[in-house]
Amino acid sequence: MGSTMLAQENDFRNLGTRITRLLRSRGVLIGLVLIIIVASIVEPAFLTASNVLNILRQASALGIVCLGVTFVMMTGGMDLSVGSVLSLCSVVAVSFMNKYGQAPGSNGTALMAFLAVIVIGFAVGIVNGSIITILKGRLGETFIITYGMEIVVASLALLYTRGQFVPGTFGTGLYEKAGMGFTPIICFLFLALVMHVVLAYTGFGKQISFIGANMDCARMSGLKVGQLRVITYGICGVCAGIASVIVSSRVYSASPLQGTGYELDAIAAVMVGGTSQSGGTGGILNTILGVLVLGVLGNALNVLGVDANAQLLFRGAIILIAVGLDMWNTIALHKEAAR
Amino acid sequence: MKGGKRREARPLELFLDQTVVVLLGGFVVLMAFAKPSFLEWSNLQNILTDVSIYGVVASGMTILIICGEFDLSVSSQYMWAQILFITLLNATNNMFVSVILTLCSGLVLGIINGIIVTRFRINSFITTLGTMTMIRGLCLVFTGGKMVSTQNPLIKALGTADFFGLSFFFLVFIVVLAVLSVMLAYTNFGRRVYATGGNIEVAHLAGINTAFQKTAAFSIMGVLCGIAGILLVAQLRAGSTQYGTDLALTCVAATVIGGTRLSGGAGNTLRTALGMLLIVVLYKALIYLGLQAYYQNLVKGIVLILVVMFDLAVSKRRVLSR
Repeated sequence: MGSTMLAQENDFRNLGTRITRLLRSRGVLIGLVLIIIVASIVEPAFLTASNVLNILRQASALGIVCLGVTFVMMTGGMDLSVGSVLSLCSVVAVSFMNKYGQAPGSNGTALMAFLAVIVIGFAVGIVNGSIITILKGRLGETFIITYGMEIVVASLALLYTRGQFVPGTFGTGLYEKAGMGFTPIICFLFLALVMHVVLAYTGFGKQISFIGANMDCARMSGLKVGQLRVITYGICGVCAGIASVIVSSRVYSASPLQGTGYELDAIAAVMVGGTSQSGGTGGILNTILGVLVLGVLGNALNVLGVDANAQLLFRGAIILIAVGLDMWNTIALHKEAAR
Repeated sequence: MKGGKRREARPLELFLDQTVVVLLGGFVVLMAFAKPSFLEWSNLQNILTDVSIYGVVASGMTILIICGEFDLSVSSQYMWAQILFITLLNATNNMFVSVILTLCSGLVLGIINGIIVTRFRINSFITTLGTMTMIRGLCLVFTGGKMVSTQNPLIKALGTADFFGLSFFFLVFIVVLAVLSVMLAYTNFGRRVYATGGNIEVAHLAGINTAFQKTAAFSIMGVLCGIAGILLVAQLRAGSTQYGTDLALTCVAATVIGGTRLSGGAGNTLRTALGMLLIVVLYKALIYLGLQAYYQNLVKGIVLILVVMFDLAVSKRRVLSR
C-alpha cells in the first residue's frame, strides 16, 4: 500500500519535473501557441487566411534580416548596421528602377537592381568583418564598430537621396512583384532552408558555431577565424540587402530611414528564438520561431485593438520573458549535467 | 622589466596615450584658424551645456562598462525622467519634491535592470533592450506621444542662471563627475567595481558581492538618467519622447573614445568626459563649418570607428611590449 502511494507520488513529481522541463525548454513555442489561441478566441478575424498571410508577409522581411544576424550572433558577434544597410539598399535600388525600369515588364533592370543590393550589402558586411577581424574584436568591439558603420551607412543613404523620400515610379515586373502575394514568404522560407542546412549540416556552419563557442580554441585548432568572420558579416549584409527589396517593393517606394529600428528588432527576434548572445548555441529554426513570436504578437495586439504605444510594453516583456526562460533552461541543464 | 631596469616611456607612446587630448587640441586649433568665432565664449558655453547633459549619463555608463555591463535603456530612462519631472512639477509646483521623486524613480528603474541582470542572469544588452522598449512604451502611453512642457519660474531661472560665467548644467556635471571619480578611485566600492569587471570569478572568490556591485552600478545609472532628464528640462522647459534617442550609443561611444575597454575592469570617468567633449566639439565644429547634417553623421561614424581601431591598436602594442 505504502509503496504504491510512494510510486504515485513519484509519478506526480516526475510529471511536475516534466512539465517544468517542457515549459522552460519549449516556453517560447508554448507562448506562441497561447497567443494564437487567445487571439483567435477573442477575435475570430485573427485566424483568417488573409490575416495569416498578412502576418507571414510582414514577418518575412524582418525574418530575412534575422537570418543573417543569426549567423553573426552564432560567431559571438553583433551587427547593428543591418538597419541602415536596408535603408541604403532600398533607396539605391528604387532610384535605379525609377531611372531605368520605367517600362512595364522591365525584368532585366530588376535583376540588375537585385545584384546591386547584394553587392552593397556584401560590401558593407565585408568592411565590418575586416575591421573587426583586424582588431580581433570581441562582442563589445563588434558592437561599437557596427554601430559606427550604422551611422556611416545611414548618412550615405541620406546623402544619396539628399534626405528625400523616393516614391516608386517604376513599371510592373519582377521588382514590383517581389513584395506581393506569396513571394516574400517563399523567399524567406527558401533562404531559411538554405541557411539552416548550411549552419547545421556543413563544415562551414559548424566552424561558425565553434568560433562562437570558443574563439581562442577555434583559432588554436587551426580554423581561419578571421576569414570565416568576414564571410559571416558579408552574409549578414547580403540578407539585409535582400530584405530591402521586399520592403521597398511592398510599399512601392523607398526612404533613407526605411531600415531604422530593424537592427534592434532583428537582435530581439533572434534572442527570443533562443540563439544566445555569447554565441555558439541556437540556429535558424530558433530564429524562425523568434520572428514568428514577435510578428504574431504585433498582429494579435493590432487585431485586438491595443494602442500602438502600449504594444511596446508587451514587446519588451516578451523579450525579457523569452530570454529569461532560455537562461533558466541553460542553468537547469547545467545542473542536470553536473548531477 | 628585464634586468630590473625600468624602461623609459618613449615620446611616441606618451603621445599615443593621450590620443583624445591631442585630437581635441588639434580640432580646437584647426577651428580657431578656420572660424575664429568658434572660440567665442557663448559658443563654448553651448558646447559645455551639451557636454554636461550627455556627460552625466556617460559617467554612469563608464561605471557600468567598467563593471562589465551595459545599458541600452538610458535613452528611455532619460525620456521618462523628463516627462515625470514635468508632470510632477506642474502638479505639485514643488521643486524639491519633484526632483526627489524623479531621482527615486530613476533609482527604482536602475534597480529593476540590475536585478534582472544579476538574479535572472540575462545578458545586460538584451535585458536593457527589453526594458528600453517597455519604458519607452510607458512614456508614450503616459503622454499619448505629445510633448509636455512647464512654465515653472524656478526651473526657468535655473536654466538661465550664470554662476561666474558657468551655467547651472556645467556645475551639476562637475559635481557629478567629482563625486563619481572620487568614488571610483578612492573608495572600497570603487575598487570592487574594478574587481568585478576585471574578473568576476576572482572577485567572487575574493568575497565581493558581485551581484550587489552590478545592481549598484545600474542604480547609479538610473539616478544619473534622472539628473540628466531634469537638466534637459531646465534647458528646454519641455520633455518629449523625441529627445535623446541617440543617448545610449553616444554615451558608449564617448566611453570607448575615452579609453575605457568594453571588456570591463579598466577606465575612468574623467577620460569619458574628455571623450564626450571630443564628440561634441567635433559635432559643433562640423555645424560651424556649415556641413550638412548627413556629412556630420558620416564624419561622426568614421571618427568613432577610427578612434576605436586606434585605441585597440595602441593597447595591443602596450600589452606586447610588456
